[in-house]
Amino acid sequence: MCSKSSGFKISPETKRKLTPYFYIAPVIILLLFMYGYPLIKSIWMSFMDYKLTRLNKSSWNNFQNYTKMFMDDNFWLLLKNSLIYVIVSVAGQFLLGLGLAMALNKKFKGRGLYQSIVFLPWAFSSFVVGLLFRWSFNGEYGVVNDLLKKAGLITKGISWLGTPGLSLMVIIFAMIWVGIPFFGIMILAALQSVPDEVYEAADMDGCGKVRRFFLLTLPYIKPTIIMTVLLRFIWIFNSFDLVIIVTGGGPANYSQTLPSYIYTQAFSSYDFGLAGAFGVLLIFILTIYAVIFLTLTKYDKAGDF
Amino acid sequence: MGIGRALALLFYLLLVILPVYWMIITSFKTSNEIVNTQRITYWPENFTFEHYQQLFKTMHYGIYLRNSLIVAVSVAIVVTLLSIYGGYALARFQFRGKGAALVFFLITQMIPAILVIIPMYIVFSRVKLVDTLTSLFLFYSITNLPFCVITMRSFFERIPYALEEAAYVDGCSRTQTLWKIVLPVMFPGIVADFVFAFIGAWNELIAAVIFLNSQQRWTIPVGLKSLIGKYNVDWGSMMAGGCLALLPTAIMFVFVQKYIVEGLTAGAVKG
Repeated sequence: MCSKSSGFKISPETKRKLTPYFYIAPVIILLLFMYGYPLIKSIWMSFMDYKLTRLNKSSWNNFQNYTKMFMDDNFWLLLKNSLIYVIVSVAGQFLLGLGLAMALNKKFKGRGLYQSIVFLPWAFSSFVVGLLFRWSFNGEYGVVNDLLKKAGLITKGISWLGTPGLSLMVIIFAMIWVGIPFFGIMILAALQSVPDEVYEAADMDGCGKVRRFFLLTLPYIKPTIIMTVLLRFIWIFNSFDLVIIVTGGGPANYSQTLPSYIYTQAFSSYDFGLAGAFGVLLIFILTIYAVIFLTLTKYDKAGDF
Repeated sequence: MGIGRALALLFYLLLVILPVYWMIITSFKTSNEIVNTQRITYWPENFTFEHYQQLFKTMHYGIYLRNSLIVAVSVAIVVTLLSIYGGYALARFQFRGKGAALVFFLITQMIPAILVIIPMYIVFSRVKLVDTLTSLFLFYSITNLPFCVITMRSFFERIPYALEEAAYVDGCSRTQTLWKIVLPVMFPGIVADFVFAFIGAWNELIAAVIFLNSQQRWTIPVGLKSLIGKYNVDWGSMMAGGCLALLPTAIMFVFVQKYIVEGLTAGAVKG
């Protein structure tokens, strides 16, 4: 059914060796160019006095952006918020996603329809999710306060978005909600890849359900768990649209994270040098995280699912 | 089915349905009913389409919809095509630099969007690409590419190699085999990747806000964001706009989610 194509005479051996490079070259070139240039430019800017308002007068400024960053009154608050935000969100998504995948792993009537509903938040933009949570947790007209009152848990409405501590929690709720399907789908696929024979052997050995999970299932889906947690941690750490939409960082920066702060700073003062310094810090933190995480989990196949 | 598992399934169902329900009914309430602090209603007392009408009349929602569609469809097509070749190379070949390529993909994920957006904005403003849909097309293509290549690779790895070997025996070239033999079996994976990229482009807000100035070019998220005033938010229109923004991606996802699970499951395709 296939015809031999004529044309250049290259030895089959060379051709076989070059094929993968031809296939992957467009992706690599595009990414190198489009990520590489901005990245180098950002790092360069972070060492310069670089403001959009006077682009032509940018000059080396002796690490002033970095000094300014660490001396920022909000620095430690931002770092703390960012870590709480990413750790609680990833942990919540992962545990709830794992639970969902395990509940879905056995066939039941209507599973297809059920799956298409519970996986739906994957299709939601964090923008819409942010609005929805901001609306539901509204202190005056919010449905959450109303439900809590009806349940007799509170008598007066809580100002969720105006209270330090609580406002960050609402952002985390929203983040967990939108991320459960990602873990659910990935882990479900991994669970369904476990061959039946593995379980049959375990049943013959009289293995209990809990032991079976920790001894058989978990090692089998470990690569998926490592990759999804790694990726999700990086994505969430860098994401800030929910912060911007739900609270705008308020009250008084109590729900501000490092990336959302960069965004607000960069586009209010147009000080791109300072923004660059913050960005370099984020990459630094994530690199340390990735190296530690991959070492601790003894995982050497980065990029595998 | 055990009672514990049934309760868990019910919990997850309510977790998704309740917020979505709240969004939908809010969009059909009158503005007065929405901001009535005395009594919060769980079903619209006066059912109205006013928010939807307002979106199309005063907000040019139709234009945003068109812009979003143009960007999302073109991003999805390009990303899917590139991912097919990139993913195939990673799944089927052993070559020097493969490990480095995978690490490189991981590194791209660590770069904060803002570090890419600012320099890109400066370049785009020099080459007159600011305030065009092309700028968004370029940005969304690269942000969605790494994840799509990696998942495409996983999809390919789930397909038995024996399928291709038979084609080589018949004298097919690599590219011919890829298109005639492998891709038809890969259909679920391709659809899944297309939807990943489409959703990624459709939902993005920050870059769109920065790159686009004139209202004629706005995408749906930018248009909706403009409804957030300094002191108050028009909740009725917001929720209506949210529902309209969700409709295309939600419908796609309902059909596609089973393909994603299928494509990622080992042994789903028999050789």
